[in-house]
Amino acid sequence: MRPEMILHITRKEILSTLRDRRAIISNLLIPFLILPLVMLGLPVFLGGLFERESQTISEIAVVSLVNLPADLRQQLEAQNLAFSEVTDPFSVVESGDYQAAIAIEAGFAEALESGGKATLTLYSKRGNLRSELIASKVENAVRDYQQTIVAERLKAAGLDVAVLTPIELSAVDASSAAERASGSFGWLIPFFIVIWTLAGGQMTAIDATAGEKERGTLEVLLVSPVRRIEAVMGKFLATMLFGLTAALMAILGYVLGGTVMRRFFGAQLGDEGSEIVTLLGGSLSIDLISILLLIISSLLLAALIAALLIGITMFARSFREAQTYVAPLSFILIIPIVGLQFADFFSFSSLIYLIPILNTMLLMDEIVKGSIPLVPLLLTWGSSLGFAAIFLDFAYRSFKREDVLFRT
Amino acid sequence: MIEVSNLSKAFGKVKAADKLNFSVQAGEIFGLLGPNGAGKTTTLRILATLLKADAGSATVNGFDINKESEQVRTSIGVVNGGMGLYDRLSGSEVLYYFGKLYGMKRQAIEKRILELDELLKLGDTLTRRCGSFSSGMKQKIVIARALLHDPSIIFFDEATSGLDVMARRAVLDFVKNYPSEDRAVIYSTHVMGEVEELCDRAAIIYQGKIIAQDSTRALLGKAQASNLEQAFFTIVESSGLVPAVEASA
Repeated sequence: MRPEMILHITRKEILSTLRDRRAIISNLLIPFLILPLVMLGLPVFLGGLFERESQTISEIAVVSLVNLPADLRQQLEAQNLAFSEVTDPFSVVESGDYQAAIAIEAGFAEALESGGKATLTLYSKRGNLRSELIASKVENAVRDYQQTIVAERLKAAGLDVAVLTPIELSAVDASSAAERASGSFGWLIPFFIVIWTLAGGQMTAIDATAGEKERGTLEVLLVSPVRRIEAVMGKFLATMLFGLTAALMAILGYVLGGTVMRRFFGAQLGDEGSEIVTLLGGSLSIDLISILLLIISSLLLAALIAALLIGITMFARSFREAQTYVAPLSFILIIPIVGLQFADFFSFSSLIYLIPILNTMLLMDEIVKGSIPLVPLLLTWGSSLGFAAIFLDFAYRSFKREDVLFRT
Repeated sequence: MIEVSNLSKAFGKVKAADKLNFSVQAGEIFGLLGPNGAGKTTTLRILATLLKADAGSATVNGFDINKESEQVRTSIGVVNGGMGLYDRLSGSEVLYYFGKLYGMKRQAIEKRILELDELLKLGDTLTRRCGSFSSGMKQKIVIARALLHDPSIIFFDEATSGLDVMARRAVLDFVKNYPSEDRAVIYSTHVMGEVEELCDRAAIIYQGKIIAQDSTRALLGKAQASNLEQAFFTIVESSGLVPAVEASA
């Protein structure tokens, strides 16, 4: 193997990809911009939505408004609710004419005054965010009103409200600063690294293999004195580089997105928005060692995925055919990613760190949360290297197969 | 410069090259004449070390195709009708890319590009990206790429397919003037007239077999034909091989 030949082929593949506007947009711009957009757009949009809905007056349907006690009515109005009398609360909510409705039974106020129990029925649509939000206004008002009644009844009985809470449960968040900062959706980092490594390397891999076949340049390349292992390695390196770049751009966008959000848009976000940013891991700050470990893990993952991509796309006769081969790969990779968000519920044997790709995602999840587990780290890196070598060998063997090279 | 002995290659049951024997001398344009699917491209791919022969042997510029494949590939240039180029690279970038693959230094590539510009009138094909080329412009860069490392032997495989009349004429004139005392050309085509115009000797290849090989004049004489197309049909008929159309019927 002659390194200068490999690097020469790599340089050409890089130049060719860089001149492809589609590749630049999908490899560099989209991964860099999409996360800040999600982190800017989602909190601002949802935060604004929640804020607006809680501050605007929402009209709810009421059956037997006359039965509503004045105090409770005040509590409901304090939650920015207004009332419209209807006869069929279920159908008006079901049809969407109202987001929520309440029905007050006859004798409601009297039952409460006599120390008894009264029923208020709340109608809303489960799963409909707006309906749920308005229903929560009713629940808040009823809860506050209920607490007042309970306090009055206890007082009348000569008891203090504190009798209801003989035990004070004091909850302390024992997660590390890194765990808190990574939020409930910190697993999104490994998710985006895997997805963008695949997406970023895909264009280069297809262009360098099936694309070369389709254009008729592969035959010309192989008729030069370049050795096939050099051609494979050159294309592999370029694919790995673009996969890694796309993943790093996504992470950069993710980290910068959170920082920019908090620093420049803190006021616009409001409490709800800030909470969403934290949930998405927008407060994330990773130390240098963790960044280094993440980069090495990403590099090995990119090597594995690039070798796999070159091996698979080599079989295709055309760009389009190669895309159909790669599409299921994205799907296969998404399955463990979906499971990753529930990783906290499972305790894994160390052997799971031998499973390629999944191991890197689990390891990255740990690193982002601030721990550096040595055995999983070594197993993951070893496994990634081993599988990258296996896939690379497969790609090289494909490059030597006449039926693959000249498949028409 | 090329010695081919009992060269055979099959794809499943189809014999693409069946015990081929021929030789090409320095200064010669040797024609491989046959219809599409006759086995011409397979033969050239074996000689270019892209495919492995099932049996037989061959040397190209004195190098064994099985044992010295890198030296063989350094000795040859290939011009095919596919005209494959990298759309996003300019003509000169394509030439630099391949020059480096042939182990040439940057200065040597620059000097050679100037020579080829003069020879082939490359003009703005050097600066424009290949994706915007006409077929004639593409073929100029394809030929320049094949000549870049100054190979001793060039294979032309259906090199004029898809070209307009002017570009085709330019290619034919170039091939005619290329051979010298230390260079040779194998010109593979299904266009009989091109072989008649260019080649000193030719082999008629049909269903993977060479059914006749001689100087073009001798082939015409043997078949008592006035042109090579007529001679081709006479020779195929007398070979006893069933034409592919009849066989399938």
